[in-house]
Amino acid sequence: MAKRSETSSKDAFAKLENLGKGMIGEIDGGETPKFSCSLRSKGNVFYDESVGYIRLGDKVEERRFVNVGQARKFMQTVAIANKCKKFLSEGAHTSIRGLFYQLKFSLGEDLDEELFSEQSESNPLIEDLEVALELKREDLNLNTDRKGVVAGPLVLKDKFGGDETEIDCTKQGRSGWMIPSDVDNGMDFVDVDADYVLVVEKDAMWQRLNEDKFWRKENCVLITPKGQASRGCRRLIKRLANKKLPVYVFTDCDAWGWYIYWAIKTGSMNLAYLANDIATPEARFIGVTMQDIKDYDFLGQLTIRAKDVDIKRAEEMLSYEWISRHKEWVNELKTVLTTKKKIEQDALQGPRLSFVGEYLREKISKKKFLP
Amino acid sequence: MPTSTDKIFSEFKEHSVAEFFKKNKQMLGFSGKTRSLTTIVHEYVTNSLDACEEAGILAQITVKIEEVDREKYRVITEDNGPGIPKKHIGKALGQMLAGTKFHRYMQQRGQQGIGASGCTMYAQITTGKPVKATSFYDKKMISCEVAVDLKTNSAVLANIVEQETDGSKCGLVVEGEFADVKYDKSSFGVFEYMKRTAMANPHAQFTLIDPTGESVTFPRTVGEIPKKAHTVLPHPLGISTNDLLDLAHRDADSTKISVFLQNKFSRISAAKVKELKDALPSVDFEKKPHELTWSDAEALVKAFTSVKWIAPETDSVIPIGKEQIEKSLQSILAPQFLSVTERPVKIYKGGVPFAVEVAIAYGGHAGRQLADKFTSDVMRFANRVPLLFDNSGCAISEAVKEVDWKRYNIKNFEEEPITLFINLASVYVPYTSAGKQAISSEEDVFAEIKYAVMEAARDLQRYLSGITRDRDKKERRKAVLRYVGQLSKDVVELAGSGKSADVEKKLMNLIETKYSTQIDDDESEIDAPKESKNGKEDEDEGEE
Repeated sequence: MAKRSETSSKDAFAKLENLGKGMIGEIDGGETPKFSCSLRSKGNVFYDESVGYIRLGDKVEERRFVNVGQARKFMQTVAIANKCKKFLSEGAHTSIRGLFYQLKFSLGEDLDEELFSEQSESNPLIEDLEVALELKREDLNLNTDRKGVVAGPLVLKDKFGGDETEIDCTKQGRSGWMIPSDVDNGMDFVDVDADYVLVVEKDAMWQRLNEDKFWRKENCVLITPKGQASRGCRRLIKRLANKKLPVYVFTDCDAWGWYIYWAIKTGSMNLAYLANDIATPEARFIGVTMQDIKDYDFLGQLTIRAKDVDIKRAEEMLSYEWISRHKEWVNELKTVLTTKKKIEQDALQGPRLSFVGEYLREKISKKKFLP
Repeated sequence: MPTSTDKIFSEFKEHSVAEFFKKNKQMLGFSGKTRSLTTIVHEYVTNSLDACEEAGILAQITVKIEEVDREKYRVITEDNGPGIPKKHIGKALGQMLAGTKFHRYMQQRGQQGIGASGCTMYAQITTGKPVKATSFYDKKMISCEVAVDLKTNSAVLANIVEQETDGSKCGLVVEGEFADVKYDKSSFGVFEYMKRTAMANPHAQFTLIDPTGESVTFPRTVGEIPKKAHTVLPHPLGISTNDLLDLAHRDADSTKISVFLQNKFSRISAAKVKELKDALPSVDFEKKPHELTWSDAEALVKAFTSVKWIAPETDSVIPIGKEQIEKSLQSILAPQFLSVTERPVKIYKGGVPFAVEVAIAYGGHAGRQLADKFTSDVMRFANRVPLLFDNSGCAISEAVKEVDWKRYNIKNFEEEPITLFINLASVYVPYTSAGKQAISSEEDVFAEIKYAVMEAARDLQRYLSGITRDRDKKERRKAVLRYVGQLSKDVVELAGSGKSADVEKKLMNLIETKYSTQIDDDESEIDAPKESKNGKEDEDEGEE
């Protein structure tokens, strides 16, 4: 897969137009219009040790119009491309649902068929287009839901709707700055004066640390994805990592929390086609770990029983080669399986509310990370 | 009071063949009103065909049926044959069992042996009227009325008119009035009989003028008269006791039975007679043939089966011919598909040669159509004569039923526009009864019919799967074509160049070429890409 550059909407516009021009050329030459895109099926997804993330393999599939099995999808994909080109030229954004409604219309009076009748039809074709054009849907002015909050020494310039707004993440009060869907197009880093990036799983923990002025005391960028990280959140973490900032992740001590870490670090199978943009292999895991239970006496009292889903997820993770290659993680996961215990990051407020800050400082200063 | 034996016998004596017929007419095809009329037409048409073939004339036969009264019809049959000389008219039309063909052992149409005379009698007993015959031959025209004297089985001619002609016309016209008959268009009726006769006799032309005055002509499609059948001696295998006895009693030339056997059978040599003699010490081979008894004949037939014989000659079997059947069915059914299977001559009972011909026609006028539903049509023939009756007991129908049609992708054979044309040609057709409307299930005959039908079915299957392929292509083309409009619009806008009308036209051409039903390209279609999403980890990835 070719290396993605930081795409600007101009690139996306040109890419769309070239896609169309190529097809016109094929039609003029008496051939079926076609395009190729990497296969996104499981068979073409693998963990690449050399780059440290999960990415697509070399299997490429050709999509052809003059083919009964593909004709409808081909037409639909081109309709999406054309619609996105319009969004780009108008500078308008919409969600993938909004796009679906723009394209939900009858193909003609004599044809009892709609261009799209279900959003489940258009969603995978958007991914096709992302893969074929080697860009993200955000580059096509398609928004995803925002999730995740940031605070800390980070200043951005947001060019949006004709305005330019400077956003200082040290001045976002108790709520922080909500990470937008697109952190690339019209979004420039003005100043990043931090020592590291701290990602905490839960919003409650982020609020705790924000109240404690942890990011100011530690000079870090404090982010919460509020659970599994969104595309925009992962992309922001990646952009910060590109600025040579270390990234530390702090989650619950359970398979679910750990999985949030691994999705940030190595990307996920579903978004393997975006891994280069959103995976941050340099990320390190702070905790909470099973080892912490031994190191911090009070935690022993605060464990809770692991649920079936936790156990199942832990078993699954042991089967992933990019996790099982780290013996530290194998030990952690196996401990979960034998003790059937877990600890939430909130438990670190057990002794006193601000203890969690001490815990993090100690871990970071002693470099007590898991890989 | 019991009838005295004397009286019974005195009456019995007076029973001639004709009287016997009168009482047993149903045996000879005169049962049921529709069937009776078909039988009448059959007798006249068969006579005409035989006469023309013998004289080397391409037959042209017209049958006209007029309604005289309720269930009373006048039948006029006219041919272009050699005509009948004056002295033979009586025998041909007014005397039972007097035909020239009755005792010959050769392939012939299904003669009842009473033929046209039977019709004359039927006219007499149902309307009281004689038939009228007009014969053109040797620059002469003779017309007369012919009746049968039922007591003496002899012809009575009346109102004889003779004229000289210029000789340009020859042939025979027979006109008779018959009651207790009915004309209808059922599958047992005259129309169906004529149609099928035309199918099996492409060298002849047939015209039917029905009671409404409507005229249908089945034109001649082949310009050659069929090869003449020749008399052959029977083979010892396959002969029945009764026939053997009959042959012996009829033989006035041979001095003794051993000579009779050598003279009247094929493949019986002096050496074979000796073998038979050794096997049958109780039979006197020195007797005169007419002295042969039933038990002698029975013993001989049994002994025949234990001797090794050379197989019979097969050139006595004259099939209609593949090309001939093709031409006639093409002309009459105009089917979408037609295949004719001609099987080589085989032998049943070890001594009787026969051949099976099968044609399968699909679409066009093949099969029978009722409203918008089709039913298949199985047409049975023996020596070119259509067998319209006694369908259920016939080896042909049974063999067709036994074919596993699903194997040939014909889901419901009964409901397809299919006509199966099956002809059995043989010197000795194994009919089930004197009615000669069904063929008995001789093992070899049955198997042969079945094989022939299966062969034809295979051809049809090949054709039908071709149609399915073509239809598939049409559907594929349609499936892609419907998206051309939208794509053309979008791709032009996307590229920011070109005209959507041009693009649309080019795409349509492209699709027409690819899915053309004429060109069979092998480019296989790649299946639509599978959406293999793995559902395990799509929680909260900002997909919505």
